[in-house]
Amino acid sequence: MNKLKLALTKGRLQDKSVELFEKMGLDCSQIKNPGRRLLLTVPNYDLDIVLAKATDVITYVEHGICDLGIVGKDTILESKQNFYEVLDLGFGKCRFVLATQTGENFYENYQNRCIATKYPEVTKEYFTKKGMDVSIIKLEGSVELAPVLGLSNAIVDLVETGNTLKENGLEAIEDLYQISARLIVNTASMKMRKKEILDFIKKCDAFGGKND
Amino acid sequence: MDRYIINTPEGTKDSLFCECQDRRKMEGAITRLFSSLGYSEIITPEIEYYDLFTASGYPLPQETLVKIIDRSGKILVMRPDCTTPIARVAATKLKNTDFPQRFYYNQTVFRSNVAHAGSNAEVVQCGIELLGAAGLKADVEVLVLAIEAIKACGINNFYIEIGHTGFFKALAKELDAPPETIELMRSYIEQKNFDALKVLLKPFADKPSFDALNKISHLFGGEEILAEAQELTNDLCASRALDYLKNIYNELLAAGHQDKIRFDLGLVQQINYYTGMVFCGYIESAGSIVLTGGRYDKLIETFGKPVPATGFAIDILAVLGCLPVSSPPKLKSIIHYSFGSLAQALSYVATRAPGTCEISPCLDLAGSKKLAKKKGACRVVILDKENETEVKL
Repeated sequence: MNKLKLALTKGRLQDKSVELFEKMGLDCSQIKNPGRRLLLTVPNYDLDIVLAKATDVITYVEHGICDLGIVGKDTILESKQNFYEVLDLGFGKCRFVLATQTGENFYENYQNRCIATKYPEVTKEYFTKKGMDVSIIKLEGSVELAPVLGLSNAIVDLVETGNTLKENGLEAIEDLYQISARLIVNTASMKMRKKEILDFIKKCDAFGGKND
Repeated sequence: MDRYIINTPEGTKDSLFCECQDRRKMEGAITRLFSSLGYSEIITPEIEYYDLFTASGYPLPQETLVKIIDRSGKILVMRPDCTTPIARVAATKLKNTDFPQRFYYNQTVFRSNVAHAGSNAEVVQCGIELLGAAGLKADVEVLVLAIEAIKACGINNFYIEIGHTGFFKALAKELDAPPETIELMRSYIEQKNFDALKVLLKPFADKPSFDALNKISHLFGGEEILAEAQELTNDLCASRALDYLKNIYNELLAAGHQDKIRFDLGLVQQINYYTGMVFCGYIESAGSIVLTGGRYDKLIETFGKPVPATGFAIDILAVLGCLPVSSPPKLKSIIHYSFGSLAQALSYVATRAPGTCEISPCLDLAGSKKLAKKKGACRVVILDKENETEVKL
């Protein structure tokens, strides 16, 4: 039978995943020094690793090209595709916040509120649940600029420490969601290769640092 | 100005040569099977009124429907599913017939999907509906047909996975929780989000169904999970659902299909649509579900006549994707005929294997020879009145 294939989000989650894999006893020599290769293998476990951008991890898993994936909850919330989200890996922690310029009262106004964000779906769903109609502008980066320059009243963004907000004269006024890395599984793979996949999940769970 | 000429609309594609043959062959094998077992074909319109689907509680969101506005301003949709129109027929045209009635269909359904996600906007479905029959015998019949239909496609490495909406519903009822909490729980179970489910259930630790709900996303696999689930609950309705699944298993065992059967008590998709047994089909090497079905006893009633029903649909293109595309036949002969011998030429082609010879449109033999060389044929057959000669190349 083929090896299991895992799509791994490049960058920060990649390093944290390597830490976890090494605790699990996986040989991560290739993942630590991938060079320019994007297709890697774990020599001492029936596992191949694919390095990809966060949103693409979800695409590969949804299409069944990869059986498993490690990706941030932020990406999952924004994309809403069809797969199993089986484990909170506990690392890569941050949160979605609503932030405004310091001192501004976001809610105390009858005028239409405008929010700039890299995550329009997350923002739309959150405010729909609140029963509030807001306008959303999608930006690709440096979202903190938007309220300062007057493009929007507030932003929804991922925050780890809040320092970037502070340095740009913004403050978080509300937490939307807590974010961390998740292990996701293709729905068909889960059924066709139950034993191998549940074994892998169990190992991740046993060594995962949920209490970090 | 850019015009949309080169590309087909997103999610659609052209099929040529062997792709068409393979598809027709598979559709033929499945529909012959259905027909041989007493199911008759039904063809419904490709466009229907939008209201048909909203009124009957169609479970997918409105943005997934492909809409058209007709001349009078009414909203139409390209058929997003085959079962709802058949339910309409059952409650109207068939109102006074004697049930049960058995139907099969081989139709395309249309979806408006998320852009650039690689999903199909046209989904070819072969399926059946068994209308007007409630209970175990009808459910088992439909399940056996699902198994036989996938086998008829030449595929052996697959599972049909069965669940029951009654199991989750019974356990959820015992919690006495608000509907939003139940819906959130249902979505966590659907996603097999073990952690989030655990957190959500924490405040319900004293409820009798706590253990079973906590483990429900793990309750999938062979028939042994039914006994495992039984250990976890005392609820009468939940036990009844498990007994029902056990009975299904025994019947399928008697029919010799046990090795194709799996169970998943966490199959809680579209729980307001299905009313009993639900199932889906997985094939090794297909990344997604290739078959879905189940019992839907309330749908036809929304059109005015209560009729219990059960059925399933196979996603033909998804199944085809698991098989290699067959290779095209090799062209052997080019037919060069003289005027007056067309009938002879046609009958020559008709009696050979398809794709192995073709008629040359060239007026002179030299042209036909050139054509044969270009297309890689190994001979030119010359038909002149009653004479048949050939030139090898």
